[in-house]
Amino acid sequence: MTAPPPSSSAALRRLLAEKFPSSQPRPTRVLATGLPALDAVTGGLPLGAITEIVCSAPSCGGHLLFARLLEVTRATRGRVALIDASDSFDPASYSKNAIDHLLWVRGRSVNEALQVADLLVRDANLALILLDLRDADQGALRRLPATVWYRLQRAVEPSGLALVVESSRPTVPSALLRVELQRSHGLSALSCEQSALAAQLEPAVQRHRLQFSELAGQ
Amino acid sequence: METKGHPPSPAFAVLLVVDFALHALLRTRPQSRSRPVALLDDARRKAVITALTPAARQAGVEVGFTTPLALARCPGLTVVVPDPAAEAEARAALLAVGFSLSPAIEDTGPGICTVDLAGHARERHEPAVRDAVLRLEALGLPATAGLAPTPLLALYAARETDTVRRVDAPRAFLDGLPLAAAEPPPALIPVLAGWGVRTLGDLTVLPKAEVVRRLGPEGLALWERAAGQICRPLRRTTPAQTFAAAMVFEHEIETLEPLTFVLRRFIDRLAVDLANAGFCAAELTLGLSLSDETRYTRNLRLPEPTGEAEILFRTLHTHLETLHTTSSVVGVTLEVTPTRPLVRQQGLFETGLRDPHGFAETLARTVAVVGPDRSGTPQVDDSHRPDAVTLVAPAPVVPSPPAASVIPIMGPPLRRFRPPLAATVELTGEQPSFLWTPNIRGAITATNGPWHGSGDWWRPDLAWEREEWDISVENGGLYRLINVPSGWFLEGEYD
Repeated sequence: MTAPPPSSSAALRRLLAEKFPSSQPRPTRVLATGLPALDAVTGGLPLGAITEIVCSAPSCGGHLLFARLLEVTRATRGRVALIDASDSFDPASYSKNAIDHLLWVRGRSVNEALQVADLLVRDANLALILLDLRDADQGALRRLPATVWYRLQRAVEPSGLALVVESSRPTVPSALLRVELQRSHGLSALSCEQSALAAQLEPAVQRHRLQFSELAGQ
Repeated sequence: METKGHPPSPAFAVLLVVDFALHALLRTRPQSRSRPVALLDDARRKAVITALTPAARQAGVEVGFTTPLALARCPGLTVVVPDPAAEAEARAALLAVGFSLSPAIEDTGPGICTVDLAGHARERHEPAVRDAVLRLEALGLPATAGLAPTPLLALYAARETDTVRRVDAPRAFLDGLPLAAAEPPPALIPVLAGWGVRTLGDLTVLPKAEVVRRLGPEGLALWERAAGQICRPLRRTTPAQTFAAAMVFEHEIETLEPLTFVLRRFIDRLAVDLANAGFCAAELTLGLSLSDETRYTRNLRLPEPTGEAEILFRTLHTHLETLHTTSSVVGVTLEVTPTRPLVRQQGLFETGLRDPHGFAETLARTVAVVGPDRSGTPQVDDSHRPDAVTLVAPAPVVPSPPAASVIPIMGPPLRRFRPPLAATVELTGEQPSFLWTPNIRGAITATNGPWHGSGDWWRPDLAWEREEWDISVENGGLYRLINVPSGWFLEGEYD
């Protein structure tokens, strides 16, 4: 006797989850960012997944968010890798203590950055990887086939790390979470404490895909 | 019935590699074992083939053939001559496996290692010897083994089997062996054949005194060998004092595969040597002799001492993948710096590397992609010079976070433009009011500055001087603008 066909996509996912429990992704785990605007909506950055931060305005706080993530991971003594496709990171903007756990990879091109990302996501020693593609060659980024991102997503899934891609326009089709920073700092920001500025960031959640297991549990 | 005087249980093992010189060569050449290969003994007046691979034998080549005859039978035959360096390395591998069984071993001859198993539990003898044979096979040396109460019997047993043979009843075992097993002197062979002596049993049924009276001292030695009564003390071999391997290649090597094949053999053997001595590897020193008579040497410090062959090999392989030599490789050396194994208990909250070797490998692969000096943990130099940063190797353990600094970091971090963007700036009075760069242009809506900076004035080649402005541009961006003797530049974007 055959079961009646599922009436909706959610029911179909539930049915698949029951039939193939081993194929379900692990329950969503997150890396709390300490930013109220982000943590309240998503809980933090999903681990074993790609998060894309779209910096659509100049001076909108992409690196400020990274500084916050450095602080959070430093407190837990997790290792962080920054793949800097345009070699724009400025260590002097951070306290010495904040970058003790950082591996900075100074890339020269999008291809180099993606190759390094593919290596690093397979390393069990890292808690967070930031792939900074903001000032990277936009033509090269556009020419990348979507499969590159899905392959990277597949590589991240079994790991316990968060992969954050910083871009100037939506680029990563496989991102589980996409947030956008749209508001530029004013000149007065330069006389504010960095931690206070980070707390004022208001990332707008553009995409928050639930993982398969969460859908199955609905 | 056991011969009087034999110990009650086997106490000696012999590890035997038949056609040792040939296998010593084959183990350094990938896929050679499946091809027709013959070993030519060119030390004799008339060079003849002394050993063959099964493929060569199947093609009709036989031991004793000259090279032209062998090539006539098998045109695809590869003829090789003995290589003392390869034999030395194979001997080291054989002895290393021998030492893993017992510290009392004898380097009896080419391809023969005699092991005194006294002190081992009797039930462990055979499994340990079988394991040793498998390890030799993994090291590229197909071996057999014999277990017997005397070294001589163990050697006979090793010669009479394809795997491992244990001799519990020496008399019965010896009786069936052909006379050739006792290696009779050539002069005695026709005499004994005339007597109808075909096996060792045929000889030992004859009274010893009568055999000696007719055949003299040679007959006595042969009778004793046939009776298996000789239980000589072993000439003990000392373990390796250094952990090194070397090889000179017959042909120049231009690709990675043959080199890594040989290095894998080295590593496998050295790992056994290290384990026997209770050491781990702390550092690997790789040396490559190049055909232009130069030498490449590289010390590879391991992130954590290890004795695991797989990790040691991966370290070498990752390095070699990124290496381009000026000419082909004619020789290779590998030396391991030994150290005692690291004994420690991880702290409950310690966040050392989960996989130190994996991390070192990842870093090496990253360097291969981005180049040297472009990855590491950044350290800001003790200088006011802008962008003075050094990259250092990541720390093995992330230190505990110190107490929060009393001097907070102000403002958003800077995203540097490397190199800075050349800019054209319009001034109103002394204040910048409009900015042109290839990517960013617009009216400057607010400014802070200027801040003057200079340094290294006592070093003419490094002296620097600048005026720095923080500007807000009408596109919403917040930038750092600098004025140096060579002009205006946009140094970065506050983000």
